[in-house]
Amino acid sequence: MIADLLETSIIISVLAATVRIATPILLAALGEMIAERSGVYNMGLEGTMLMGAFTAYIGAYYTGSLWLGVVIAMITGGLMSLIFAFMVITLKVEQIVTGLALNLLGSGLSIFWLRAAFANAGQTPTTPFFDTVPLPLLSDIPFLGPILFDQKILTYVAFLLVPATWYFLFRTRYGLELRCVGENPKALDIKGLNVAARQYAAVVFGGLMAGLGGAFLTVGSAARFVPEMTNGRGWLAIVIVIAGLWRPVPVLLATLVFSFLDALQLQIQGIGVAIPYQLLLAMPYVCAILALAIRRSHSGAPAMLGIPYWRR
Amino acid sequence: MIERLGYRIEPRSETTARGRTLAVGVALAASLVLCALLFLAVGVSPFAAFQSLAQGAFGTWRAATETLVKATPLIFTGLATAIAFRARLWNIGAEGQVFAGAMFAYWCQSALAGSSAWIQLPVIIIGAMVGGGLYAGLAAILKTRFRVDEVISTVMLNYIIVFALSLLLLKGPWSEAGGFFEQTAKVDPGSILPILFDKTRLHLGFLLALIAAAFVYLMIRKSPVGFEIRAAGSNLRALEVQGTNSRRVILMVMLISGALAGLAGMSEVYGVHYRLKAGAITSYGYTGIIVAILGLLNPWGVVIAAILFGALVNGATFMQIKTGVPSALIYAIEAILLLFYLAGWAASSFKLKRIKP
Repeated sequence: MIADLLETSIIISVLAATVRIATPILLAALGEMIAERSGVYNMGLEGTMLMGAFTAYIGAYYTGSLWLGVVIAMITGGLMSLIFAFMVITLKVEQIVTGLALNLLGSGLSIFWLRAAFANAGQTPTTPFFDTVPLPLLSDIPFLGPILFDQKILTYVAFLLVPATWYFLFRTRYGLELRCVGENPKALDIKGLNVAARQYAAVVFGGLMAGLGGAFLTVGSAARFVPEMTNGRGWLAIVIVIAGLWRPVPVLLATLVFSFLDALQLQIQGIGVAIPYQLLLAMPYVCAILALAIRRSHSGAPAMLGIPYWRR
Repeated sequence: MIERLGYRIEPRSETTARGRTLAVGVALAASLVLCALLFLAVGVSPFAAFQSLAQGAFGTWRAATETLVKATPLIFTGLATAIAFRARLWNIGAEGQVFAGAMFAYWCQSALAGSSAWIQLPVIIIGAMVGGGLYAGLAAILKTRFRVDEVISTVMLNYIIVFALSLLLLKGPWSEAGGFFEQTAKVDPGSILPILFDKTRLHLGFLLALIAAAFVYLMIRKSPVGFEIRAAGSNLRALEVQGTNSRRVILMVMLISGALAGLAGMSEVYGVHYRLKAGAITSYGYTGIIVAILGLLNPWGVVIAAILFGALVNGATFMQIKTGVPSALIYAIEAILLLFYLAGWAASSFKLKRIKP
């Protein structure tokens, strides 16, 4: 049965699934990368994604429009991260503790709201979900076509964000300033540039992306909301940013490794190889710890990551 | 903006006890208002809802003892988090350590089923502490030897152990013979924690939790270990310069923290549910973090906060029956309470300083 895994059609389906599964994690990780570049650790990513997933679902359900659901999810993600930004940038509360509070808020609020909205329904209703949009010509390329170019729009958006964030960080003045905020905020402050405003913007961008990533989980694939459905994806995104050394392309590679594990797991279960599924499901989390334990370089982290900036 | 008015916001060198208590008070009040708004949003009179909440939590002797039953695991996990956070070790892993404690206790105890309670009870208590401690110790070693941040490692370990338990329970060696659910068979009667009062469910675990609180209090206040924990919280470098091995302190704090969390798992399995299943031990770790922070990381504060949260959980079930408000509301309320507290506490640690004459 292991040999079945080597058939071309299976390989294509695993790799296409990898790209699909990567989408929400990649969106959240790229957003978190931008936030961390400004020196702020958004540990509330899990809860932000979860609220994004929930509001996209409930938004699409009530408005009947998938895209409105996506917009609502992004707004929710932005608002969650605005709370976070206010707490850690303005009030300078411990970033880890604030992040935890946001995670608990996301999990509590989404379950409560779900129960309140569908108290009388035996089962939560489903919404429609996005179809794949094969790109003309490109999707006809053998092998690569069905893997890369027969995906959903949000997937294309996520992958295009890799060069976009790279260009922003390393080729624009705003990107340079943002990196400077994470490395040496005082220098920027002395030049008369607003440190807090840049951090707010970076954190809120991270929240918008986490909301979008969350939306992909519901209106992008599952069509319904299940409590705690992010299942650690927000935390994996944080691990990916660290493993990806705060750079867009390595972040993409790290995301693909984790998603590949997940896709492989689905495929192995699908063809009924006799490995307990719990072992396969635990694999990404075990690999996350291993990835952090065996990484050689500990550089790359913004110097002021996690340290609030005080003007004195 | 404020600076144009001739003022600047600066941190206070020390937050006062009054400021912290005030922050808790303001947070409670603000959360109460928000809670009332949520009640209105789902179309229930806040007055009726709060009344049924209080009635469910403390209305009768049985309800009050049930509140303490719900508070018991939270005291353990709250203490576990408090001791780690005091040393500025961000152990988010109480959740997983609760599982590890319950699982290790079950593993040891199931080998001794049938023997006297005088053997089985000490075994489950020590087993839970060893299991929770080892699982937290793993995160400590990852931190000191491999430089893996404890926040990340403990969160990952939380996810991993849920799968490990499921592996053992679902058609695994621990699954109930002929059972349909993912759970063990009922535990041996000799291993069940004795009930403290007739016609209640209040069990020995509550007493153990109070003893644990007293132990943590004495340890922090009176022992050299407590001094090291407090010192590690304020300045780990200074402690090293003074000749203390910081790796040893980190490992020790995590072992104690994990052992306390492990007891929560034992107390739920052997005091309330009488069988091991994920549903019996889920979410106490995360709630324990809120309990610890609202309890000002003080052992007796943790006990009070845990009883408050036990009351919320217990009252919410009654409220759901009476008013139809989903009991999941309290999870949102707990988080809101924490956010308001953090904001209030942070605000109380600032002062306005005049910078222009």
